[in-house]
Amino acid sequence: MTIESPLWLKLLEMVLLVLFAPLVTGTIQKLKARLQCRQGAGVLQPYHDLAKLFRKSTVQADTASGLFRLIPVLVLAATVAAGALVPVLRAGPSALPLGDALLLLGLLALARFLTAVGALDAGGAFGGMGASREMTIAPLVEPVLMMVVFSTALSAGSTDLGELAAHRGTSWIFAWHAADFLGFAAMLVLLPAETGRIPVDNPDTHLELTMLHEGMLLEHSGPGLGCMLLASHTRQIVTLGLVAALFFPIAVDGLGVVDLLLGAGAFAEKILLLAIFLALVESSYAKLRLFRVPQYLGIGFVCALTALALRIL
Amino acid sequence: MISSPNQELLLTGMLLMAACYGAGALSSLLARGSGRLALVVAHLAALGGAVAGLGVALGVLLGDPHHALTQTLPDLFPFARLSLVVDALSAFFLLVISLVAIAAAIYGPAYLRAHSPDAGPARQGAQALGLNLFLGCMAFLVCAGDALTFLLCWEGMTLASYVLVVSDDHNGENARAGLLYMVMTHGGTALLFVAFLTLTERAGAFDFAALRAAAVDLDSTTRTTLFFLALGGFAAKAGVVPLHVWLPRAHPAAPSHVSALMSGVMLKVAIYGILRFAFDLLAPVAAPLPLSWGWTVLVVGTASAVLGVLYALQQHDLKRLLAYHSVENVGIILIGVGLALILWRRESAGGALATVALTAALLHTVNHAAFKGLLFLAAGSVLCRTHVRNMEELGGLARRMPWTAGLFLLGAIAISGLPPLNGFVSEWLTFQALLGAANRFHGPAGLGIVFSAAMLALTGGLAAACFVKAFGVTFLGRARSAHAEHATEAPPSMIAAMVWLAVLCVALGVAPGYALRLLDAPTAALLHGPAASAVLSARGPLVLSTALTTSGTHGTAISMTLIAALLIALAALAWVLRRGLWRGATRSAPTWACGMRPTARFDYTATAFAKPLRLVFAALYRPRRAVIRETAGTPYVLARIHYAGEVVDLAETQIYHRVQRGITILARTIRLRSTGRIHGYIGFVLGALFVALLVFGVGTR
Repeated sequence: MTIESPLWLKLLEMVLLVLFAPLVTGTIQKLKARLQCRQGAGVLQPYHDLAKLFRKSTVQADTASGLFRLIPVLVLAATVAAGALVPVLRAGPSALPLGDALLLLGLLALARFLTAVGALDAGGAFGGMGASREMTIAPLVEPVLMMVVFSTALSAGSTDLGELAAHRGTSWIFAWHAADFLGFAAMLVLLPAETGRIPVDNPDTHLELTMLHEGMLLEHSGPGLGCMLLASHTRQIVTLGLVAALFFPIAVDGLGVVDLLLGAGAFAEKILLLAIFLALVESSYAKLRLFRVPQYLGIGFVCALTALALRIL
Repeated sequence: MISSPNQELLLTGMLLMAACYGAGALSSLLARGSGRLALVVAHLAALGGAVAGLGVALGVLLGDPHHALTQTLPDLFPFARLSLVVDALSAFFLLVISLVAIAAAIYGPAYLRAHSPDAGPARQGAQALGLNLFLGCMAFLVCAGDALTFLLCWEGMTLASYVLVVSDDHNGENARAGLLYMVMTHGGTALLFVAFLTLTERAGAFDFAALRAAAVDLDSTTRTTLFFLALGGFAAKAGVVPLHVWLPRAHPAAPSHVSALMSGVMLKVAIYGILRFAFDLLAPVAAPLPLSWGWTVLVVGTASAVLGVLYALQQHDLKRLLAYHSVENVGIILIGVGLALILWRRESAGGALATVALTAALLHTVNHAAFKGLLFLAAGSVLCRTHVRNMEELGGLARRMPWTAGLFLLGAIAISGLPPLNGFVSEWLTFQALLGAANRFHGPAGLGIVFSAAMLALTGGLAAACFVKAFGVTFLGRARSAHAEHATEAPPSMIAAMVWLAVLCVALGVAPGYALRLLDAPTAALLHGPAASAVLSARGPLVLSTALTTSGTHGTAISMTLIAALLIALAALAWVLRRGLWRGATRSAPTWACGMRPTARFDYTATAFAKPLRLVFAALYRPRRAVIRETAGTPYVLARIHYAGEVVDLAETQIYHRVQRGITILARTIRLRSTGRIHGYIGFVLGALFVALLVFGVGTR
């Protein structure tokens, strides 16, 4: 029987996630640079970018409606709220129930919905193109992600992430079933799509042939762009945290300072591992043509479906 | 019968409701003097009726669950006693009808005046009569205590809505839509007649209590046949794939507040019928329902959900897009209903999971009524200010109609199943029911259920894509036509009606625990098991928890209220960030278009937005496109390119067009045989009589 996490801990985890989210992006960029034999910017570069953006003034498209100013605020709020649902320091359900994996995916979907709406607001072709592509990929990713969550949730009888992490307990990869391996494989296929990275999207360019997410940010500027960037950093760490909660064990159970520090260290290690994976994938593959992406996601779908079948049959 | 003072009051409420709708229908006579006066009086009367209905529904739902409100009606027919019985299920659907009817009644007069200012008194009188008859028939249909009242109201509902469908504009398309609607819905009614008459013939009476008693000793084949007859009849009305073809044509043709009623409420009446037949009239005494029932409903529900949203994505007509989303949402409701049918009395642990499934279906019923009503009303505001339904000709309305735009966005978020609004809550419950059921059924059944869950997730994602398109292309960017450029905000009464539904969307999303209390009586009465709030809000009204459905685990618990509070707090913090740490000035500049001067043609259109998904799902859409190139003398110089592309509903081309061709061929063959001589016809009649005697006359001797 696990002890429930108090609300202050969930909020602390959320704040930690937001604070360290840009660091993950910085680390991935640095790793990519080193893999490509470049020096690269420092790992703290995203923080400098954000600090600069928040000090700047705003240029707004003259066709945009009043909604446009609200979009970054709502997107950031929804993404950070999703951060409160990821178990970071310890497993076990929240004492005051907040939300489960479905709500987490729902909040991320809300952020994506609003981002796409904002992209159409300025009335440029780039924004529309980005929104259209993003909303084409998203409905294909979401069911597969849901199936991966279900494949673990079926054995735990709950979709609460804390509960799922507690159910995984201390069992490490040696105790995995075939369904776990397949689910994990599906998750790894989805990870670049969900974090907006190669081979599905390219975070480094605004070129219209490649962009999905970046195309939607073109008309944002100054603090608004800062909010959108912070939201996409947070979205990335939340997604990685979701993978960690579903597939890596969280052994720490207590509520003492030492336990929590241990949990934080373990979490950082897991995120680093997944960040290395993303950097490797980004450096070794080319971006797929947009209409190849459904086939790529099909691999994930087959893996997830097989995982579910193995779990149920 | 004991009648407490409370019952007396509720009966008075029923009488008041009937009187209001009746007075509203009669007010059409005023149209001879002034059509506008008739409309205002009719809508006021409808508002009174809806408020009375709301009161009655709340009174029954929150009152003593074991006492159904019963009222015998005057004997109109010598062979049947008519009565009204308002039990928990009836009261719940009366609640749904009344909630949307209130909005429609507030919205109607201003809309009709703005949309068709040159309507003659005949049309206005017909609309006044139609609306009240429509609302009254729906309200008394769900309260019917016998088969005859049910069928009379059913027919009245159909006819009144037909009048409203063809009343809006005098063009051929509306008339064709109305005709298709009549044909489809009467086909369904015929099936219902067979189902009801089989039961009444056995029972020797028309009231539901007698039918219930007569159904006890049915053999399983008859029972299943009757259920499928009723399901077919109700599915035609609910717009279930592949019986949905009339829906996207007829719903948009009606005036917008009637579209809201047809989509938000009339489809739910069919859901009521399915629930009434499956769990009440045809249910065996103590045995579970046959598995074929639940699986059929689950499969058609899943198919409706996915196909409905896929076709919605390719629509450019705002109201038709919304109508296709009704197909999708009826599908989602039916997934819940199907699961409840499968799980009922098949669970070991107390039947809590069937309660979750039924709660999900009922909650989605009221949720869909709220957000679809809101969206249709907002679309109506756009329509009456621009007189354009094609999204490609709109655009930029958010700055001209800020209220309408904001309310449409709220409805869009709700219908896409995104937190923190109500669509998410019922989809979450459906997911939990699916997951619980998958845990219970191993083998292919479990996999089928999980696949249905994946399809539901796909539906949610596609709905979000569709509403980014619908909202973005209609309200954002630049105006693409003069109509959109000169639009102004809708009148206050129309906005008030939308705000009422928007408040419902938010309240049902943020504090669903309180709405679950209203679902207690229907779930407990239908399933004879635990009530909705006992299962789902065991941890207080602010927390939704499924702990009771699965033994041995903690289940899942979420709190929409806490999440909403968190979102508000975070949005406040983010707003501080957004203003900037040093509050720089905000400049306004043209959108970046690679150095060109952007015009409205730079905006992404609805067709372009949906193009990638059209290519991804090309196998299902089978899109038609025609490109004609006009060349200037040589083939290398193009003068003009014509492009025409459309996506036609697969059900139409694959099923209905074939049926239509078959009928045409049959008619042609018969016409060749008809010589025009009377001897030939007499011969035909004699031959038919002979065959009939041979076939049917032998057995009776």
